[in-house]
Amino acid sequence: MIAKIICYALSGLEGIPVEVEADVNKGVPSYDMVGLPDTAVKESKERVRSALKNSGLLFPMNRITINFAPADLKKEGAAFDLAIAISLLKASEQLLSADVKDIVFLGELALTGDLRPINGLLPILISAKSHGFTKFIIPAENAEEARYLGGAEVYPASSLGDVVRHLVGMQPIPPLEMREFVPGQHKKSSADLRYVKGQPIARRALEIAVAGGHNLLMSGPPGTGKTMLARCLPTVMPDLTFEEALEITKIHSVAGVLGEEGIVTERPFRTPHHTATTVSMCGGGNKIVHPGEISLAHGGVLFLDELPEYKRSTLEALRQPLEDGCITVSRAGGTFTYPARFMLCASMNPCPCGNYGSTERTCTCTPAEIRRYRRKISGPLLDRIDLQVEVDNITYDELTSEEVNEDSATVQQRVNAARRIQRARFEGTNIHTNSEMGEKEIQEFCTLTREGDRILRNAFESMKLSARARARIIKVARTIADLDSSEEILPKHVFEAVSYRLFDKP
Amino acid sequence: MTYTPEEKTVIYEAAVKGMKGREVLDAIRGGACVRTLKGDEEEMVSSFLEPLERKGIFLVTALSADYPASLAHASDPPLLLYGMGRRELLARRKFCIVGSRITPPWAEKFGKNLSAELSEQFTIVTGLAEGGDAAAIAGALPSGNLISVLPCGIDMCYPAAHTSLKEKIIEKGLVLSEYPLGTGTAKWSFYQRNRILAGLSEGVLVLSAGVRSGALITAGCALDYGKEVFALPYNIGVSQGAGCNSLIKAGAYLVTEAADILSVYGIEAQKEKPEAQAEGDEGRVLQYLRERGETHVATIAEALGLRIFEASAALSALEIKGLATKTGGNKYSAV
Repeated sequence: MIAKIICYALSGLEGIPVEVEADVNKGVPSYDMVGLPDTAVKESKERVRSALKNSGLLFPMNRITINFAPADLKKEGAAFDLAIAISLLKASEQLLSADVKDIVFLGELALTGDLRPINGLLPILISAKSHGFTKFIIPAENAEEARYLGGAEVYPASSLGDVVRHLVGMQPIPPLEMREFVPGQHKKSSADLRYVKGQPIARRALEIAVAGGHNLLMSGPPGTGKTMLARCLPTVMPDLTFEEALEITKIHSVAGVLGEEGIVTERPFRTPHHTATTVSMCGGGNKIVHPGEISLAHGGVLFLDELPEYKRSTLEALRQPLEDGCITVSRAGGTFTYPARFMLCASMNPCPCGNYGSTERTCTCTPAEIRRYRRKISGPLLDRIDLQVEVDNITYDELTSEEVNEDSATVQQRVNAARRIQRARFEGTNIHTNSEMGEKEIQEFCTLTREGDRILRNAFESMKLSARARARIIKVARTIADLDSSEEILPKHVFEAVSYRLFDKP
Repeated sequence: MTYTPEEKTVIYEAAVKGMKGREVLDAIRGGACVRTLKGDEEEMVSSFLEPLERKGIFLVTALSADYPASLAHASDPPLLLYGMGRRELLARRKFCIVGSRITPPWAEKFGKNLSAELSEQFTIVTGLAEGGDAAAIAGALPSGNLISVLPCGIDMCYPAAHTSLKEKIIEKGLVLSEYPLGTGTAKWSFYQRNRILAGLSEGVLVLSAGVRSGALITAGCALDYGKEVFALPYNIGVSQGAGCNSLIKAGAYLVTEAADILSVYGIEAQKEKPEAQAEGDEGRVLQYLRERGETHVATIAEALGLRIFEASAALSALEIKGLATKTGGNKYSAV
């Protein structure tokens, strides 16, 4: 008898249906697998054999052939175990009464027959649902991830025995209760602007950066709280929408970094170490292409601490994703595109010794050393960082103004308001924030008053700014005006925008 | 380029035979050496001059008419000066502006403005390093009244990052060096070079100098040659200015504006240029900066009751107008 069971394979963030066919014939006992299975799939033979035995079921002592269709797609990973086991049971007539058509089986088996969780469950479920499947049997440990799917019957099972009892109707598994998405529900980070002491200028830059989706560079001596400030970035960003959360969860699920809660409810904050390779940053791998740090930071913040310490080639590789919002990685196993729309936040010391511009300590670096240090960051990358701000180590004991002690929620409200203005402005285009504006949009939306235009001209002459810097200043000025709920870009907005730049000064 | 027989003798003695120092000069001047060069000697000189001329390099010899007088009387005059650019600048009045490589931003800005103003009356003499020298160059380069003296061969560049700057100076001003082509820098070449800076000029302004700065050596040479020394005053405890303050203590002129220098040479300072206007918040911020000196943005905002971003905007406006400058660590000072 032949049995056909539906399972799913992953290709990037897409699930691809795979039919597992089992045929049990009379003849010399053998157990063959065809249809391009990789090592992990082939090894499932032994797992399935033990799991069946230890669940009190029979492993057919006949001539067994398992086929995976479509035959030209490479099958990877252990997610096919459950489907193989069920297909064997069906083919060997142990599940005669069960209807397994239209059910998608997912899960890895342990030798005891227990079901183990798999990576990338959510993207598979979403793809399968769009292909018209509505019934899923999944490992119980993956249950949380499936709770937000909606419009499908999902049965979480903890062992092969449970699945069989469910299928034959002996002990049906109750379908998984779906849950409503609540942004920020599973907060892991305790960062909040409330705990940042002082730093009014950096706070303001943070607010502008988030409001307009601009990238941010902080320069300052060690121990001035650059990392702490950066950690606050996700807390002032607008709350995740359900669609965003699903997309981020898909990436994290594929990469296997999803937490127990099953869905990402706060914006990611990734801090790859400066020894990170280009592959770990952008994604890659031998056969399966894993999403890199920039994709894991999708929808959130990629924080590069000590920017000049990163390998230059790694930093250069960021330029294209920063522009496109996605990364395409080609490997022998195929070409995959992962989303990578992140906010880049970088920090650096002002010079190798860290004391340049400090009040208390003297800098011992020569101008040549400082130049060499700063030259490690390429101009084109710097051009994509709209806001550059100095973080200093002034003591704030004497400062009392309220702005200095605001918490993240207050700032977030202002950010949300500015984002609303931008959403209305870019309605119907694929631009979301001011930072993504091109030359055309700048001309359309960033009209300067005559006074503002004159100021910018003067600034250019007296500061010798580049054409790139001009676009950058205008975009930042647009965001500042949005925060001010001002239709026009006024001179004061331009002036403030001009103050957020470090390295393109004469 | 033609050279007189006298000049050729100096070139022969200095470049071909490698002689140095006062004695040679005295001997030539005293007539002991002045003689018509023999045929083969003449040939050696022209084969030495030929590649130089191809590169557009001319020689100022100790017996040339435009050789700086005070160097001629020094104890170790450079017998030859290699030059590229506008030689006629040597004939103008010259004033030297130097500073150490680590010069605070406000002093750089001040030095640049001052250099621009003085370059109308004088040719500005300086080196080619970062910091103080670069500020002097930035001020004088637009007018072209600029001489830069190198501590290495004229075909070399130190620091290498200033190669394109050197090309610009050759184009608009003049570059000088006493070293043969291809000579690199050595520790002592900076000290040697500094005596030329002082010797060329009527006075020396020190923009910034630590306790052991090379700029102090230039000032010392200037005193030896009987030239005036000027210095910028600094706060107590600012290490980049300790040398300047000790110069002032020792009797150097204290400089806060171009008129302080011009009046010493009997030149009347030009009438005050109409100053850029600062009104409203900008005006208040500027006034505060002028009263308090270098101040942090947050302190300014706090003192004047402004929001932090309003203060930033006002300071940017002042910066664009050239009335204030960012000094690092989010601090600003008036210029």
